[in-house]
Formats: sequence, structure tokens, C-alpha cells
Amino acid sequence: MSSGSTKNILSFTEDLLIRVYEKLSSGSDRKSWRLVCREFLRVDLVTQNHLRVLRVEFLPGLLRKYTRLQSLDFSVCPRIDDGTVSMLLPRHGSGSESDSLSWGSWARGLKCLVLSRATGLGFFGLEALVHVCPLLEIVDVSYCCGFGDREAAALSHAAGLRVLKMDKCLNLSDVGLAKIAVRCGRLECLSLKWCMEITDLGIGLLCKKRVDLKSLDISYLKVRNESLHSIASMKKLEVLAMVGCPVVDDFGLQFLENGCPMLQGMDVSRCECVSSSGLISVIKGHSGLRELNASYSFPELCTTFLHCLKGLKHLELIRIDGSRISETSFSVISAHCKSLLEIGLSKCVGVNNMGIMQLVSGCVNLRILNLTCCHSITDAAISAIADSCRNLICLKLESCDMITEKSLYQLSSFCLLLEEIDLTDCHGVNDKGLKYLSSCSGLQCLKLGLCMNISDKGLFNIGSNCPKIHELDLYRCTGIGDESLAAISKGCKNLMKLNLSYCSGITDRGLEYVGHMHELSDLEMRGLEKVTGAGLAAVAAGCKRLSDLDLKHCDKVDDSSFWALACHAKNIRQINLSYCAISDMALCMVMANLTHLQDAKLVHLNNVSVEGFELALRACFVQIKKVKLFAPLSYLLSSEILENLHAKGCKIRWD
Amino acid sequence: MDLNNRLSGNELQKNLSGQPGFGNFNTQHPQKWEDPSIIDYSMRIEPPFRGFNQVKVGQDGLVNELRPTNKIQEWDPSAMLSSFSFLEQKIHQLRDLVHLIVGRRGQVLGRPDELVTQQQQLITADLTSIIVQLISTAGSLLPYVKSTHSAAPPSMGQFGQLGGAVFPSIPGLNGGIQLQNTSGSKVSNQPNQNDVSANCGSEQNHNNEEHDLKEEEDAEEGENLPPGSYEILQPEKEEILAPHTHFCTICGKGFKRDANLRMHMRGHGDEYKTPAALAKPHKESSSEPTLIKRYSCPCTGCKRNKDHKKFQPLKTILCVKNHYKRTHCDKSYTCSRCNTKRFSVVADLKTHEKHCGKDKWLCSCGTTFSRKDKLFGHIALFQGHTPAIASEETKAQVGPFERREGNQVTNKVGSMNFNFSPNASSESGVQNIMNVKGNIDDPTTYFSPLNFDNLGGFNDFPRPPFDDSESSFGFLLPGSCNYNQKSAADDSNNLA
Repeated sequence: MSSGSTKNILSFTEDLLIRVYEKLSSGSDRKSWRLVCREFLRVDLVTQNHLRVLRVEFLPGLLRKYTRLQSLDFSVCPRIDDGTVSMLLPRHGSGSESDSLSWGSWARGLKCLVLSRATGLGFFGLEALVHVCPLLEIVDVSYCCGFGDREAAALSHAAGLRVLKMDKCLNLSDVGLAKIAVRCGRLECLSLKWCMEITDLGIGLLCKKRVDLKSLDISYLKVRNESLHSIASMKKLEVLAMVGCPVVDDFGLQFLENGCPMLQGMDVSRCECVSSSGLISVIKGHSGLRELNASYSFPELCTTFLHCLKGLKHLELIRIDGSRISETSFSVISAHCKSLLEIGLSKCVGVNNMGIMQLVSGCVNLRILNLTCCHSITDAAISAIADSCRNLICLKLESCDMITEKSLYQLSSFCLLLEEIDLTDCHGVNDKGLKYLSSCSGLQCLKLGLCMNISDKGLFNIGSNCPKIHELDLYRCTGIGDESLAAISKGCKNLMKLNLSYCSGITDRGLEYVGHMHELSDLEMRGLEKVTGAGLAAVAAGCKRLSDLDLKHCDKVDDSSFWALACHAKNIRQINLSYCAISDMALCMVMANLTHLQDAKLVHLNNVSVEGFELALRACFVQIKKVKLFAPLSYLLSSEILENLHAKGCKIRWD
Repeated sequence: MDLNNRLSGNELQKNLSGQPGFGNFNTQHPQKWEDPSIIDYSMRIEPPFRGFNQVKVGQDGLVNELRPTNKIQEWDPSAMLSSFSFLEQKIHQLRDLVHLIVGRRGQVLGRPDELVTQQQQLITADLTSIIVQLISTAGSLLPYVKSTHSAAPPSMGQFGQLGGAVFPSIPGLNGGIQLQNTSGSKVSNQPNQNDVSANCGSEQNHNNEEHDLKEEEDAEEGENLPPGSYEILQPEKEEILAPHTHFCTICGKGFKRDANLRMHMRGHGDEYKTPAALAKPHKESSSEPTLIKRYSCPCTGCKRNKDHKKFQPLKTILCVKNHYKRTHCDKSYTCSRCNTKRFSVVADLKTHEKHCGKDKWLCSCGTTFSRKDKLFGHIALFQGHTPAIASEETKAQVGPFERREGNQVTNKVGSMNFNFSPNASSESGVQNIMNVKGNIDDPTTYFSPLNFDNLGGFNDFPRPPFDDSESSFGFLLPGSCNYNQKSAADDSNNLA
């Protein structure tokens, strides 16, 4: 950028700057923007309306600066609890008057609050948050396993609530649901996945009170057909997810035939008692169905079901994973579901080249195609796919053994929009194939796990031609070495997820290249036998954004590198140290200094004593949410620390 | 009044009422209170029946009286008989229905809820049809009546007046007749079924208040005592409220029960130890015909006061006591479990406490349910009602904790709870919702035994009966400061 143009952008008026700023999508870009000058920072402060908090200690300052916040995300902040909330609330009598006035202003415009996994938060904190945010519309408290009726009651005070996710709020019962159903009059979208206490009564009341609900997720609930009877009365329901409802059967689905006139999406996957006849009745009543997920629900696609599919002119998505399918079925689908965008055929028995050819002859708009474990697929089918579906974005070919580089050639020639391809366990993939594939320059996600035949040469092509890759899976690619990582770290600057597990050729030098991947957030490096402390230290020093690190079976990594980890990798949220040669001292250092650690797997640490564990857990108990420990430790650790962990909402898994 | 008197009163009532089915309905017997639902329903439903039965009898008498004098217009007694048998059948059906409802609703709700009123409406509709039938039957008599009197134009209104004129000769029938009268005249004015049902409903409506209902019970519904056939006693207010009714003539000590007095008397000498002195002293009095005693409430304007124009006497002194306390005294006994129900008679409190807490499904409106589906049905029916959360109380028992600072590791597990009501914020206390909520939700802070002691009298404690689920039912703490509250309540009562 020349100095003239820099002057130009600085002389932009604020609204222009805001427009430019709004074009920036990634967080790191916005960070760079903030660092340009004060004016740019100001633009950032007045424009930014979403905040995802990792470090709670910065939260008060951030909330004071960002006055236009609409969305606040605590999902990665392990230390949000009642105490933190009480500090953020408007308080009188503390601090100066102006200070207390500015307090709480952040909450006034807040519309979206993500508290997923905020297990440290209690009822009082939640209620306080809800009370200070009058405009709250979207709340996510999923995976707050301790949440129940009281928390639901607190949430129900947010009268303007439109979207509520309560997945895995294990203590939520009909009573809490009733509170929400009665008080949240604008509710449109509700997810109750894994809220196992909910019964037909609760669902029935919800359906009576919230007739305007557009989306409902009752997956894994033990509700009976009666619930579907009440759900059928909802006139505006568009999406119904009922994955894994073990008691609901075809009679229940029959209620839906004449109900829910607006239904567009239906997920009945893994419902054991549902057969195709139940699904047929749903389809008969809803010709406008767009999405249908019937994975693992019935063993065989019967012809009547296929005939019903004819009526679904608008079907965009169908997943029939795990069922038996014949060639004729494909011809029916391709003849009638012309607008199909996504089809899931994972683990389907009977998928062969002919079938796929028939399918793609009609469904030319396919964007996502899942052929996982369709073992009899060969290059011919892939050629047909590449030839017909030019708009293909995602192709999953895991365990399609017969695929060779010819398929990749075809794909790279025609499917230029390809963003994601899963070639895990495809032994036919080799360096040549990767060279072809690298011409799909838009590739973002590439999975090459268990592809033994690829080497540095192939990955060099990927590294040099696919700059947009942000996820790369090289699990057990034993043929690759440090040069691959050199090429990737040079070319793929956006790489965020990297799996190097059991790539035995990788040495410390390779990890030094990894240390140059500044965007890297997830790194799996299990069982790297040649890697020592120096390699890990380089990663720790270089990858500032690292949040998930798996070091299982890295036997040669020594204490010095763990010290480096403790010093540099401040953003780590998940760590697996199992089978590492870490000592008492280093473990305590790691656990105490990684202040955002939420999930730690600490089994089979042979050099760590019970006192070491005790001390380490004490050091991290404020933020830890989940810890995996060697089972005999349950008797050796003091009950006090275990109780403390439990009270803090931490789950201990004994191995 | 002792047990004997009460029992004799019972028998008396049975004898006099002439309606054994209803005479059994003894109100002062404490056990009868155990299941108010039965009382509730029978009170609601059966009085009109009886009224009709009586009307029927009365009309039969009337018919017999009138038949010989008037044979001008064709009047078919057999048609009337058949219509009577129809009515009988209909009433039986209705009674069965009511029994069914009573049986089904094992648990009583403290206050009438929508279900009850719905059932009431159902019954009312049936009753209406009975009334209409009855009127049409009576209407067939009308020309006769008219012809016996002056040549006034025949009108239903006159029939009403006539009924009023004829029937008071049987005073016990007043209630039933009155209903008949009003509904009859209404029908004549505007033949609108709704109106009739409204009238019938009014009979039931004033049962809505619990104590009215019990008062009704005290009334000797089946008694057909003509005025003057009994002696009216009106005890003074002080006498009613006096803790003791039986006093030792020697030392002056008071007793609630005569039997206790007799036991006490044994201490004053051997002459009181004879079987004769210890026996119940009522046998000889009941054998000889004495003037029946009935009681009047000392409060003027009360229906149970002898000066009231529709005076309904109370049967025993215990009835007077209960009536007076329930109607004219403060409800000073509060249930220590739910802290909402209040009573002025200890027996009522004890009856309530027997089933209090069994209805574990609570609505924010204060209604309790024994079954979850009933609660959810109720919530589905009413706008804005939500279920009260049972777990709130148990959780709220954990007292407020001090704010934890920084990374300091506290040893107590419970210390994870933060106190949201720091003194600083409660001073201004305008916006700090947490503060308010925290206090309300935490019954231990409000209703600790200490607080009760400080408050002194339980009566002094201002509390709306059903303000909000979270606060009013926050006190349903299993076994929390039960004793203290109870004693506080007792004390305050004694003081009052």
C-alpha cells in the first residue's frame, strides 16, 4: 500500500470507515484494524456489536468501551460465574457516580447472550443477567448441565425472548418449561435436546401456550406419541427435530400428517420405533417439505416411501444414512427431487456406481454429497458426480477404497467450487491425486487421514496452491515429513485445525514450522515419537491462538517445553497430556498458568504423584470444567478438592 | 358444651328434621371436616334437591287441598304424577353424577377453582331443566289457583307471591322455597334459561367462600322447627370467646369439657367419685319432653341473629362458638406448613394441616393440586399462571455467602453461591433486583425463627394471601422452623 493511499483511507469519513470495517469478517483482521490508529480503534468500538469473551478479567473494561453491544458470547469463557456477573451488574454505592452510570449500559442494548457451557453460573447470576438485559432475544444456555427449573424461571423473565437453546439442561423439567412457555410470549425457536426430564405434559402445555413456535427440537426426549399429537396443533411450526426419540412410533407421526401445515424441516433420525410408514404419513401431509433427515431410522427404503418422495418437489436435503437402498430408488429420487442440494448416503448398503450415476443425472444442483463408507463406489461414480454436479461444495468419501487419483482429477477439473473433501482412509489417494486436487484453490477443509500413500511432494502442492485451507487432517499419514509442514505453514496461512497424530516422520523441525502458523487453534500431535521438548516449545511460542492441544503419547516431550507452554500458550482451553512424561512441578505450572483451561485429560501420568495432582487441581479449579483422571485417584485425592470441583460445575471422568 | 349435649343435639336433629339422609349431616363433628370436598358438594348440590322435594310435598298438599274445590278446568293429576316421577328420576341421575364427582375428586382444593365451577355449571344446567319442569308442572295448577282467588289476570308472578304466602307456614322450608320462588318469577318475567341458571347459581355462589360454606353446614337445613316451637338463647360475646365453659363450683377452675370437670370434681371429695356423679348427666332430661333450645349469634345483622328476617338458628352452643369465631373473628391460626391458609378455629387448622402439603403441585395463583396433570391442565386454562417451582425452596435454604475474592480457594462447597444483596446496594435499592429477589426468594432470611421472635405477634406480620408463587410458597420448607412458627402463632393468638 503506497503512502498516498494510506493518506486517503485515513481521510475517509467515519461512515465510510465503518463500511470498510464491516467488510472485515475474521477476528484477526479486525484486530489488525484496531491496531492501525486511534481513529480506527474508535470505529471498531462504535461498530462492533458482538463480543466473544475469553478472559473474564478484561470483561469490565471491554463492556465499558463497547457501548453498542448486541451480542455477548461467554461460551469460551470458563470463569463466568455468579461472582463475575455480580461485578458486571449496575451497582449503587460503589465507585463514583459517573462510573456507576456507565455500568450496566452495556446490557441495555444486548439482544443475544450465549452462556453455553457456563456451568459456573448459578440461578442468581442468570436471573441478574436477564433482569439487566431488557431487550434480550436470543439466549443459549446449552450444556449447562446443572441448569433446571429455577434457571428456566429466571430466563422466563426475558419476555422478549425469541430463541432459546436449553440443550442438555439436565434438571429442566415440565415445571421450568411451563414457566418459559407461559411467560415468553414471543418465543419462536426452542431447543430442548437431552432435557430428559421433560414429559408429554410439558410439551403439551408448550404447544398450547406457544402456538407461534417456528422451530422445536425435542431430540432424545422420552416423550410419547401424545407429544406429537400436541405438536401437530402448532400452526406455524416449520422445523421439528426429534432425533433419537425412543418411544415415538408411526402412530405419533400420523398425527403430523394433518397438523403443522407450515412444516418444512423434519428430523426423525435414530428413532427406533419409527418406520417408513410413519414417515410416509408425514410426507403425505406436507408437500412443501424441504429438509428430511431419516438417518438410521429404518433399515430399508421401501418402494411406497420412494413413491411418496415424488410429491416433495421442494426437497432440498435428504439424509437416509444407514439404510439399504436400491438402484431404482436413486432413479426415483433423481427423477422427482430436482431441487435437491444435499444428500446423505453415509453407510448406506447398496450404493453403487450405477445408483450414483442415476442420482446425479437428475440432481444436478447437489452441493453436499456424503458417501461415507459406500465401499463399492469407484472412479466411474466420482466422474459422473464431477461431470454433473458442477456446484459441488462438499464431498465426503471416507473409506471409499476404490477411489484413485482419476477421481480427484475429474473433481479438480469440474468442481472448482469444492471447499471440503474427506478422503480419510482412501488408500488410492497419492501424491499425483493431491496434485490434481490442489487446483481446487478454494479448498478449505481437507481430510487425508490414513492415506499412507501421500508424501511431502503431494502436500507441497496443496500448500502452495490452496491458501484458504483452514482444516487439514493428516492422521497417520506416515509418509509425510517435516517438508510437508514447511510447505503448509508457508502457503496455508489460515490454517486453524491441524491433525498430525501418529505422523511418525515429524520431528522438532516440523513443529518449528507449525510454530509459524499463527492462526492455528487446534493441534493434535499424538504419538509423535521423534518430537522432543524443543518442538513443543516452538509451537507454544509461535501459535498464540492455540486453544486445543493433544499431546497424548508424546513420550519425549520434557518438562522444559511444558514450562514454555505454561508461559506462552495462554489461550489453551483443552489439553490432553495423557501418557506424557510430565512431572509434578510442570503439571502444576501448566494447570495454574493456563488460566483458560477448561478441559484436561490427565491419565497415565507416570511421573506425577498424588500430591502433584492435588496441587494441580487446586491450582486450576477456578476455571476447569471437565477433567479426566486415572480412576484410582478418586480414592487418593482429598474429598475437599473433589467437592470443590463438583461445586464449580466441573465434571470428572474417571478412567 | 360437652359431648353428650352434642350427641343429643344430633339425635334431636335427626328426629326433627324428618330427613334422615340430610340429618346425618352433622356439622359440629370435627371428623366431618376431614374431607371438605364431600361437604362442599353436598352443600352445593343437595339443598336445592331438598328444596324441590319439599316443594313437591308442599304442592302435593296444595293439590289435595285444591282438588275438591275446583274442578272447573281440566287438570290431570296423573300427568302431574308422571311429571313428578320424571323429576324424581332426573334428580336421582343428578345425585349420582354429583356422587361421581365427589368420588373422583379425592383431594380437596382449599378454594374453588375452575374445575369446580365447571362442574357446578354442569349441575346447574341440569338443575335448570328440573326447575323448568317443576315450574311447568306447577304452571298447570295455575288456573286453579287463580280461580280460587279474585279474578285477577293469571300471571306467573302471582304464582310466586302465592308460593311465598303459602309456604312460610313450614318455616324450615324457607331456603328451598325461596329458590323456587325466585326462579319461578324470573322465568315468568323473561323465559331465559340462563337467568334461571344464574338464580340457581346464586345458591351455589355464596358457597364459594369457604367459611360461608361451613356456616351453611351449621345451619340445620333439614330442621322444620316452626318459630316459637323452640327457645332461643343468645350467649354473650364474652361467653362465646371464653376459653372455658364448665366451672368448678368449689374452686372455680374452668374446663372446656364437662367430663373433665367431673374428673376434676373427684378431687373435692368422695361424694363426687360415685358412678352416678361421674356418669353423663343427660339421660333423664332427654326422656321428658322439654322445650328445644336453639341459639342465636350475638352479632346483629348476622343471619344467625334472631333479629334477622331470615333467621336460621344455630343448634348447639358449639355451633355458636364455631360460627362466631369463623364469621366474626380474626383468622389467627395460620398453617405452619403453607403459611397461607388461616383459620379462626383450631380444629379447622388441624383438619387443614392433615392434608396440607399433600398437594405438592402448586400454581403461581396459589392453587394446589395433587396431580401434575391437573396442574398443567389448570395452567393451560388460565392466562399467565405458571407452576411454582418446588426446588426453589430447597435451594434457597442455602444461606447467603460472602463474596469470594479473586482466586482464593474456599473450602466450603456452598461458598459458590454469591450474595447479591450487599449492604451498599440495599441502601439505594432502586434498581438492584437481585437484592430484592434474593431476599424474597430466601425464606430463611425472612422467616427465620429469630425474625418471628422479633416480630412478636404473628398477626402483626403483613402478608398478602397469594402474592406470588416464589414468595408465598417459598415457605414450604420441609421441616424448617415449623415449631417456632407454630408457637409464635399460638402465642400471638393468646395475646389477641
